[in-house]
Amino acid sequence: MTKTAVTNKIRRLRFDHGEMTQQELAERIGVTRQTVNAIELGKYSPSLEVAFRIARVFGVPLEEAFSYEASEEK
Amino acid sequence: MSFREKSAWVTLTTILLVSGFYFTHVPRPFDPNPGEWSLFVIGVAIAAFVVIEVVAHVVLYLRYPKDARTRKDERERLIDLRATRLAAYVYVAGTFLAILTPHHGASGFAVGVFVLISFMIAEIVNYAARIIYYRRG
Repeated sequence: MTKTAVTNKIRRLRFDHGEMTQQELAERIGVTRQTVNAIELGKYSPSLEVAFRIARVFGVPLEEAFSYEASEEK
Repeated sequence: MSFREKSAWVTLTTILLVSGFYFTHVPRPFDPNPGEWSLFVIGVAIAAFVVIEVVAHVVLYLRYPKDARTRKDERERLIDLRATRLAAYVYVAGTFLAILTPHHGASGFAVGVFVLISFMIAEIVNYAARIIYYRRG
């Protein structure tokens, strides 16, 4: 899985919410810890449902947890 | 390493071991008289594969019970689909090549062996691809 254009602030949000571990976040959103790690590193773009779950765990809007960097069209 | 990646390593190792056993004991594909020995070897290979897979996965389950009970998530399902698609291409290409071998004098037994070879290579590609995708994130 190559790097995606979707970036996120999940690591910072985890630390801001009682230093939540990747495992804890994974259990709350229904994925594996390895998937959470892949999302944080930008190697995997989660589905819309998982993205919304992540935002809901941290109590923030989707746009605060994720952002999309569209590349310039040539 | 996730449970599914561990499972993929187990299956890949088992396939390589069983394939190695089979191809060191099976009559050559163009042998005109393969005999019942080839059937025996296939039977032993299949039985060995099943036993090794079951035992190894029971050990994995007992060692990592919580991970084993976790359902596949979306990323793991996507990895499975991509790896299976790759394996399908390999298997179809191998089977088509096998079908051409009678034009070069191959017997029915030889065609069967070549189809089996393409199946084994396809499964090796399947599980190797899963491991690569898991490693890459």
